[in-house]
Amino acid sequence: MSAPLLALRGVRKAFGARLLFEIERLSFEGGGAYVLVGPNGSGKTTLMRILAGLDREAGGGMDFRGEPAAFSAYPERLRRSIVYVHQHPYLFHTSLRHNLEYGLRRRGLPAPERARRVEEAIAWAGLEPRRATPPAKLSGGEKQRAALARARALEPELLLLDEPTSNLDRDGRAQTLALLAQLRDERRTVIVACHDQEIIGLAGFTRLRLDDGRIALQSG
Amino acid sequence: MDLLEPTRQAFALLFGGDPELWRIIWLSLWVSVAAIALVAAPSIALGFLLAKRRFPGQRAAVVLVQALLSFPTVVIGLVIYLLLSRRGPLGSFDLLFTPWAIMVGYMVIAFPILVVFTISATQGADPRIYETARCLGAGRLAASLTTLWEVRFGILAAVVNGFGRAISEVGCAIMVGGNIAGLTRNIPTAIALETTKGDFAQGIALGFVLMAVALGVNVLLALLQGQGGLR
Repeated sequence: MSAPLLALRGVRKAFGARLLFEIERLSFEGGGAYVLVGPNGSGKTTLMRILAGLDREAGGGMDFRGEPAAFSAYPERLRRSIVYVHQHPYLFHTSLRHNLEYGLRRRGLPAPERARRVEEAIAWAGLEPRRATPPAKLSGGEKQRAALARARALEPELLLLDEPTSNLDRDGRAQTLALLAQLRDERRTVIVACHDQEIIGLAGFTRLRLDDGRIALQSG
Repeated sequence: MDLLEPTRQAFALLFGGDPELWRIIWLSLWVSVAAIALVAAPSIALGFLLAKRRFPGQRAAVVLVQALLSFPTVVIGLVIYLLLSRRGPLGSFDLLFTPWAIMVGYMVIAFPILVVFTISATQGADPRIYETARCLGAGRLAASLTTLWEVRFGILAAVVNGFGRAISEVGCAIMVGGNIAGLTRNIPTAIALETTKGDFAQGIALGFVLMAVALGVNVLLALLQGQGGLR
């Protein structure tokens, strides 16, 4: 049996004396699609940020592709493998192309490959008519799709999406849901934190519930 | 007092290509631009660090830089004078009463303005900028530069303010420059001198130039912000 892509070990997060959650062991298989549910304040976003290396004050660690890493000393190389998309994604105030190219440049990809991936990302997110629009002028749904496309273009081993449909109108939600289903069909490893019943109900997503400091597989 | 005649003479001086007047203008411009060009990068870097990093003494450092903002420029001039004078620790460089001494003064005067404006611009920056850059694979330095780029209009405002303060400064420039005709006389020191001599024409002409420069850089800043059109 192959090792899981990601295995959490003794993840613990507390704010002073208040324990937010403690996760003894939890594994995520490569190519799996996961949805993380739980009430407000249960720590879904915090867990995603810990996994992305944005919160170094958490206890415990993880094995990523079998390599151990402590959250307090998050390895830089993991930033190339794990990409987190904020609940309200930030698009740089430059151009859509620059946004999509940003991480590709950081990875030192040659210009033709960057151009190919940018064009593919624009098409994937259905943003062809908006390619010349300044990012600040995109709608909420378009920003969310652009952020998903920006993350996907990097071909990360693990995508962490935080409430990707919150504050979107019906059309924006429907388009984002379609992109999430595509990610699942492409066998990308993705963890989505959300409240959205439509995402929770998407076929092929494994449901995990974080509540009262514990995480568990949710049946049904 | 009749202002019409001196104003007419001022325009005649400006558009008649008076070499002394244009030498004064040129000196003011290049010394101010050079001072800002040299001091901008370290000041912006320090402002960013003071705004974004937590370390012991950080608060005290911010208070110190803010205090420098209200330091009288003649006191700054006096300190630089003592440092650069023959018997001062930097006397061997022979910089006193040269444009270079004025440039050093301008750098010291502009430094706290640039730092404080940068602190203000970066403290107000959305924390998602840095996080997004890091999540997309940027290192700490690249993510910091991305943050600065995202608040570029605030940083530009810092540079414009520093430049405005430098080019219009008089106390320090007189002390360390000496207001020597043809060598260290610049726009504000010339205005001060000519006015005390009762020669208002040159003072008015140079005043127009200062106002035109101030207006020009601010219009340029507004145009750049408008072109950004993103906020």
